[in-house]
Amino acid sequence: MLKGTLYGGTVAIGMPMLDAMLPRTGSAQTGTAPKRIVFWFTANGTRQDIWSPPASMDLNGHPLHAAMAPFSNKLIFLDGVDQSVTYDSIGDGHQTGMACMLTNAEILPGTLFCEGNCDAGNEQYVGWGGGQSVDQYIADEVAKDVVTKFKSLELGVQVKSSSIWSRMSYSAPDQPVPPREDPNQNFTDFFSDIDSDPFALRLIQKRRKSVLDAVMEDHAAFQSRLGYEDKQKLDKHLQSIRDLEQRLEITTNFGEACTSPELDLPGGSFEQNDMYPVTGKAQMDMLVMALACDLTRVASLQWSRSVSGVRFNWVPQVLGEGHHGLSHYDDGDASAKADLLEINKWYSEQFAYLLGLMDGIQEGDNSLLDNTVVVWVNELGKGNNHTRRDMPFILAGDCQGYFNTGQHIDFGGEPHGKLLVSLTHAMDKPVNTFGVPQYSQGPLSGLAV
Amino acid sequence: MPPQGTNFYLTLAAALLAGCTGSIGGDGERAINDTVAKSLCVVDTPIRRLTRFEYNRTVRDLLGDTSNPADVLPPEEEVAGFNNQAAALTSSDLLIEQYMKVAEDVSARAVGNMEALIPDCDPDLDGNDACASFFIRNFGKRAFRRPLSQTEIERFKSVFDWAIADADLGRFEDGIEVVLQAMLQSPSFLYRPELGEGTPIEGDVVPFTSWEMATKLSYMLWNTMPDDVLFAAAEADELRTKEQISAQATRMLEDEKARDLVRNFHTQWLQLTHLDSVTKDTGVYPAYQSSLRGLWKEEIQTFVEQVVLEGDGSLETLLTADYAFMNEQLAGFYGDDVLDSVSGPEFRQVQVDPERRAGFLTSAGLMATHANINQSSPVFRGKFVREQLMCNTLPLPPNDLVIEPPQLDPTKTTKEQFEEIGANPACAGCHTLMNPIGFIFEHYDGIGQWRDQQNGKNIDATGEVVQTDDIDGDYDGAVELASALAGSTQVRECVSSQWFRFAYNRTVTAEDNCSVEQLNDVFRSSGFNIKALLVALTQTNAFLYRRAVELEPDANGGAQ
Repeated sequence: MLKGTLYGGTVAIGMPMLDAMLPRTGSAQTGTAPKRIVFWFTANGTRQDIWSPPASMDLNGHPLHAAMAPFSNKLIFLDGVDQSVTYDSIGDGHQTGMACMLTNAEILPGTLFCEGNCDAGNEQYVGWGGGQSVDQYIADEVAKDVVTKFKSLELGVQVKSSSIWSRMSYSAPDQPVPPREDPNQNFTDFFSDIDSDPFALRLIQKRRKSVLDAVMEDHAAFQSRLGYEDKQKLDKHLQSIRDLEQRLEITTNFGEACTSPELDLPGGSFEQNDMYPVTGKAQMDMLVMALACDLTRVASLQWSRSVSGVRFNWVPQVLGEGHHGLSHYDDGDASAKADLLEINKWYSEQFAYLLGLMDGIQEGDNSLLDNTVVVWVNELGKGNNHTRRDMPFILAGDCQGYFNTGQHIDFGGEPHGKLLVSLTHAMDKPVNTFGVPQYSQGPLSGLAV
Repeated sequence: MPPQGTNFYLTLAAALLAGCTGSIGGDGERAINDTVAKSLCVVDTPIRRLTRFEYNRTVRDLLGDTSNPADVLPPEEEVAGFNNQAAALTSSDLLIEQYMKVAEDVSARAVGNMEALIPDCDPDLDGNDACASFFIRNFGKRAFRRPLSQTEIERFKSVFDWAIADADLGRFEDGIEVVLQAMLQSPSFLYRPELGEGTPIEGDVVPFTSWEMATKLSYMLWNTMPDDVLFAAAEADELRTKEQISAQATRMLEDEKARDLVRNFHTQWLQLTHLDSVTKDTGVYPAYQSSLRGLWKEEIQTFVEQVVLEGDGSLETLLTADYAFMNEQLAGFYGDDVLDSVSGPEFRQVQVDPERRAGFLTSAGLMATHANINQSSPVFRGKFVREQLMCNTLPLPPNDLVIEPPQLDPTKTTKEQFEEIGANPACAGCHTLMNPIGFIFEHYDGIGQWRDQQNGKNIDATGEVVQTDDIDGDYDGAVELASALAGSTQVRECVSSQWFRFAYNRTVTAEDNCSVEQLNDVFRSSGFNIKALLVALTQTNAFLYRRAVELEPDANGGAQ
């Protein structure tokens, strides 16, 4: 549970304090709250046959989305959007679905991951994703305007392994961004500032700065002895240290809605299958508070990974088989269909929980949700045929009036790169194309007000 | 792996390294050097950072810190079956942030016991400066696995001085703590640079320094930093000849730390991490309890450790041994298959029924991992044998193909059900490679317990193995198959190449042919002894040499 006035009450959130030494009581600044963007990933496609909402957008009684009914006027359901680029790319369905999802770029050639269509004796291997992902692009652009404590926050729920099947964010081609999966660690990393006494905090900051200065000098000397390719590798490392040092002095914005959250932390068991709901809830609670505290403007929550094998033991109707296995049954298999309904309904309930938290935080005239766009993505349309057409994308929140919410649009086969372009426009960092230009000629029409 | 080097830079590199090459060549020399390196089978490994496993063991040996602090770091990429592959160990903002926090935690714990940290210097008697310099020089040499340059010593001393001069800090311990933090975040600690030096043996092929060789040996054979003996050998520059290196390797494999290597390798090769997430339907398998997972894993790890390090060390024994390691609970689980009685929680060696069990292959841990929640899986078991033991790469089910695993059918055996599916022409191409091998394991149910019958029908554990190099044929039961695998050249060479990938942190390339041949020769002449293979891995040109570093054209090389 989050403590304080998070649920319901009208609370104000100030602008971030750029002066680290401002006393806690000095946060009297007010103004327009910032725009935020959040990506929300679930795996293995959905029940495409029943996914679409009714024309009325009344979600009450909808088999999948009933939990989201209170927010239906803040949602857009996108039908008929294809991950077209994935059909040009090397890699199998899950690989391309995952790596192209936020990049709209083809997968790089490489020798890292064997792809699904390879024949024995004629194996085809692929590398990492081939472009910067749109969340990282927006984060880089926002960072030019304002330095927040984290440039972006990637949270994961039991993503576990690191591979092309489990990474959706890329800081650059070939540079996957791992999510933060341990809620216990996240709690310390995000919120310890809030409870620290200012003296101790200042001491930690100046000590870190001194140490990192020495480490950076050390890096420069070290790199001068390396060959070209090794040096490239270390350059990225050094850049991360520079970035870390730059953010050291950013302290949490202690607006009224921003408090250290009280959570049900899962302790050391956060990776156990049956702790999936508890871990996920802790990550959602912290994600929302991180946004309320303006620790970042760009975030994501990745539930498991493509080819997710999570067993939904807590949903009584679902048998013990893992999600990916279930997603592979024939369309005619009533039992598997029923299980997939329950799984995707459960994810809709989690999505509704997140939206509820965000809508309960008032920032001036708007709620936090109104200042944000939450983007629900999936690497596949449907699991058993691995289609990346007619993706089950949902937008929530109008991002301060940019999106024309409360509607269901059928785009009739538009490439998803145009959605990524729309997102850059919503966040006031507009580009004309994103990733492969052929599949991203301008924003999707009809989304914006 | 990307193509070797960037030859564009070679001309200028040659100029910088004129002391080594003695001449400035053009395209001609570059081509000659390429040919020389190829003929010598010298293939460079990219710089690699410590894995979490290696970091944990390194701070254990460096500072006595056994808290496994690196567990909080993001997981490594898994490539070619292993998580220590240099090309895949990328960096990220999160990793760097966590390195800082881990370094802070480790340093705070370390300065809690100053006498252990700096045993031979007392700042009250000898002075802060003297003790700080003493610490930086001596501890730094162990942390960086080489002597520090004067510039480096001064750099860390200035961090110490900053802390001593700071109004909020000021204590000797504060200074040491920040020095530790900086060292633990230094690339010299986090990475393993193997740059080589000295006169080329031929072309631009150079040997490593003795310090670098000590580090190469310790991370390859122990997955941790060098011990005092290796450091002394490096100090005396006695890690230059093949004989010196082989003597160290032989010694190291007798050390306790080799257990980490054997466990880490087999955990990954035999996919034992999958055991952590195994769940079983207790309606179908009432004997299953989640506590078995840890016991299953320990059984296999103890077995491979004992066979490789204390037993006869042969691949054949790993695959066919008629003994295993168990405690009372586990022996109870195996029932009649265990011929000795065991009591108590300690693991001990037991004889097993040689008609039913053979080496690691039929262990409950492997059988349960490669099974479904409520039934065995001929597909997973066949796939495991194909990929892990025979080094075949099997395709995943194609895009856009609907795959339907069978529901439990109380009138049929698992084999009968899978035979029906395997007959589907869309599946048969690949599944004839897997399913028949899996059928040979049908005496082991979904949790690895022996069964003679299923659903009232006798188990048929026959299967035909096809499309192998040397063990095609009909087999009845896994004991028979294990014996064939143990005699297969394809399997032996596969095991050799798995160790190659794990030990060298990279995949085998076409340029490795002479190293691979050398390894296979030694493996064969040793009677396929794993320890002999490990020593042989220190004797290839791929391990002993690299090509001289090609610096960037604008690098001045003198930043230190």
